[in-house]
Amino acid sequence: MLALLDPLITGLINGNAYALIALGLSLIFGVADLVNFAHGSVFAFGAMLGWYFAAVLHWPLPLALIGVIAATALLGVAIERVAVRPLARAPRIAPLLSTVAVSLILDRVSQLIFTPDTQVFPDLLPSASFHLGEIRFGLTDLTILAVTLTSLAALWLFLTRTRMGRALRATAQDRDAALQMGVNAGRLEALAFAISSALAGIGGVLVGMYYRNVDPSMGFAAGIEGFAAATLGGLGNLPGAVVGGLFLGVLESFGVTWFGGASRAMIAFGVLVLVLWLRPGGLLGSPNAGFTEPLTGTFFGRGRPVVLRDWQLALILIIALGLVPLGANAYLLRVGTIIAIFAILGVSLTLVAGTTGLMSIGQAGFFAIGAYTSALLVKSQGWSFWLAMPMAGLAAAVAGATLIQPVLKLRGHYVAIVTLGIGAIVVAAILNLPAVTAGPLGITAIPPPRLLGQEIVSPRAYYWLSSALLIASIAVVVRLQRSHLGRAWRAIREDEVAAQASGVQLTGHKSLAFALGAFIAGVAGSLLAHQYGYINPEIFGVDISVLALTMIVLGGMSNVTGTIIGAIVLVGGPELLRPFGDFRILSYGVLLLLLIRFRPQGLWLYR
Amino acid sequence: MKGPNVDHGRRRVIQAGLASAAVLVAPRIGAAEKNPIYYGVSGPFSGDRAAYGAVWKKGMNMAVDEINAAGGINGRPVELIYQDTQSDPKQSVPVAQKFVDDERIIAELGDFSSAASMAASPIYERGKLVQFGLTNSDPKFTQGGEYMFSTAPTMQMDAALMADITLNRLGKRTAVFYQASDWGDTSQKVFVERYRSQGGQVVALENYLLNDKDFHSVLSKARRAEPDVLVLFSYYTDGALLLLQAQDVGLKGKMLAATSCYSNKFLELGGSAVNGTVMSVLFFPEDPRPAIQKFVQAYRQRYGEAPDQYGARAYDAVKIIAWATEHGGASREGIRKAFISGQSIPSLLFGSFKFDAERRVSHYEEALITVKNDKFVYFH
Repeated sequence: MLALLDPLITGLINGNAYALIALGLSLIFGVADLVNFAHGSVFAFGAMLGWYFAAVLHWPLPLALIGVIAATALLGVAIERVAVRPLARAPRIAPLLSTVAVSLILDRVSQLIFTPDTQVFPDLLPSASFHLGEIRFGLTDLTILAVTLTSLAALWLFLTRTRMGRALRATAQDRDAALQMGVNAGRLEALAFAISSALAGIGGVLVGMYYRNVDPSMGFAAGIEGFAAATLGGLGNLPGAVVGGLFLGVLESFGVTWFGGASRAMIAFGVLVLVLWLRPGGLLGSPNAGFTEPLTGTFFGRGRPVVLRDWQLALILIIALGLVPLGANAYLLRVGTIIAIFAILGVSLTLVAGTTGLMSIGQAGFFAIGAYTSALLVKSQGWSFWLAMPMAGLAAAVAGATLIQPVLKLRGHYVAIVTLGIGAIVVAAILNLPAVTAGPLGITAIPPPRLLGQEIVSPRAYYWLSSALLIASIAVVVRLQRSHLGRAWRAIREDEVAAQASGVQLTGHKSLAFALGAFIAGVAGSLLAHQYGYINPEIFGVDISVLALTMIVLGGMSNVTGTIIGAIVLVGGPELLRPFGDFRILSYGVLLLLLIRFRPQGLWLYR
Repeated sequence: MKGPNVDHGRRRVIQAGLASAAVLVAPRIGAAEKNPIYYGVSGPFSGDRAAYGAVWKKGMNMAVDEINAAGGINGRPVELIYQDTQSDPKQSVPVAQKFVDDERIIAELGDFSSAASMAASPIYERGKLVQFGLTNSDPKFTQGGEYMFSTAPTMQMDAALMADITLNRLGKRTAVFYQASDWGDTSQKVFVERYRSQGGQVVALENYLLNDKDFHSVLSKARRAEPDVLVLFSYYTDGALLLLQAQDVGLKGKMLAATSCYSNKFLELGGSAVNGTVMSVLFFPEDPRPAIQKFVQAYRQRYGEAPDQYGARAYDAVKIIAWATEHGGASREGIRKAFISGQSIPSLLFGSFKFDAERRVSHYEEALITVKNDKFVYFH
């Protein structure tokens, strides 16, 4: 009995925190139609601030909590003003990207203010514990429960009993109708950000009390868990967010108890994918929620396209990739190599997300499959790199075609969260299959490619190899985009129903796009493995998938030229900003924010 | 189009050649006596692991200032070039190339994580630049090439020692908690095998991910196995949190933690929950040896806190490299030669030592310490 109750209680308390984060995400999603990637960072900032009030200023718990609520609410309003409102008329993907930038900035600022150290959260309550039969409760556990319930009750009262709350719900339900009724949507958006951020702040303090520690970089993981919880319950559905949070917490707790801590991600995302496969709208959402979401086509902005002919593009590419090495030093070539490899990853996603409209945040999974396949074939089986590389692509493609099945029925943000889950599951599987992949140990001494008896190791040679493959993948993708197949994919992107009505077979076309994208990502992975010479599962985290998506969004979604520019800015940026020293990552975030602010439709639009 | 470019390239090569020749010749002429000696440091100075990088900087800057205050190396001051990689291989690889290309740099220190260090190794190896791993306890690190050196005891040695301590001093029913990382996984295997072969019983074996913050589930499960000893293969942050939460769920026992938990932060984070934790450490500030006392006092004076092992290792690493520069010559090859041929290299942590065939330190002494009243003291 105890064996079941312990994880249940642990899970419920953790679930509380997820619920608070998910609630905020869902509220913002409902009102502003936006997945707020800065939400996790607000949570972490609230936690650090709570620590500061309690540990440094010695405020008692209620005062610290009020302080955090006020500060995070203000922060939320500021985020809305600076990063979201100016983009009201921009394509929907732009504010999403700008919240990514805000998240980078916020995390780094928090590190600079509070130092990057993990801090102990002081004991704000006497450490009494109660026994109910054989179960132990701490006073902290009960307080966490009480604070969560109070917050939820307050939010519920506000939403149901006040005029403003009603307006908020109306906007969440149907923005246009609410506008027609004279609701000031802008002010409500700010309000939604304030409430959500305050909830995240409360969550931060409670988690600090429960885990007994806080650190400035704890936000990313929490944001992902919150996003998963919100989707699990049905995006935009507030009771769903609470249920999703609790469900996820309990599930993880049992999973960790039974299968070990390293399996946490696999369990959480495995169930998420399964639930959305069976109920595309989430647990409490309507089963058709996935279909009422605006079509993916609306993600794409209109702007004055840059007209570039094929021969011009080819010339630029040849000059950039072929001649640059003659003048550049080895460091720049090495940066260029990494940029080229990540650009190939971006190009693979251009096909999936840009052309076909499947917003995938799981591309790192196929990148990893390619890297591992190629590394293992060359190192253990003695294959030639030139055979192993296409095999790596093939393995990734097979995995892609298989794993995409749960995604086929979904759209928009639901595609994003399920692919995020798929990427996380692949990496967790690599971690938990040590017999094949060496698990956390990683693979060392991966031999470099050989050509005509020569090892390809010099910066210039590897740069040329990477850029040759980049050009090849661009050629393939551009050719595909212009083929009959490409038109069918674009038709799916613009309007699935119309496409289907015109005889485009949806599942087959989507699977094919996903498999081809995975193939190219696998080739990029192979290149990465042989450049690094060492790979382990850490290298292929969710951050890489987000990076790939950011790259193509910044580049304007569907064109390879933009994707390459995105790769240069996002992968090369941190290198070019080295002179800024401690402020390097901060200025990178600011740069990103400014780029989106002034070029929300992407840097490059191409016919 | 092609001709001028190639020519241009050649000219650059020639210029570069001249420049390096000038550097080689300069000391003999005597005009450039005051040119600084540069070492590169690749490490996590921002991002998730920035806390470790910050301590590195403290130890390293102090070593550099001491060397320079004493007149530098043969009259030349030492300078460190720090490059932040966030311990991300995507960034440590270009940084490696940057260092290799920068002819002023004659040795490199770091990186911190296995992924960042080992992905950069091939570039250092081909650039014939010594990569000095301060904290790389993965035995595969120095197998990466002839230019990889490390003073960090390997995880195998550490884990075997911990198994012996547990058996002889602590108890025969153990719950083991380990990071699911290359280090945690290898250590755990060595530990469990040795411990069991000598009659110990591992009643719970639980892993977790580096960035996990919540351990309640694994701890509750371990509590039901009723262990006498808790053994942690953790870094100081996760180690302290684990023990804090162990207290919360009511899991008790004698405690032994890996040497990576030896940090003031462990005490600060863990508070009373870590009282009684035993560790075997390479560096202990109460070590009565005069050299260590001198270092500890200087560090205290400068930073207002006692150094931890990361600070001490970082300080020592710079001093060891400086010794090699002095004895092998201020060049990349010189440093490697001094390391290979040095029979008694002076150091803070190892006394005088030599690198073995694996380019590691094979003989070292460790002190057994424990936490008592929120302080590290000798364990008797």
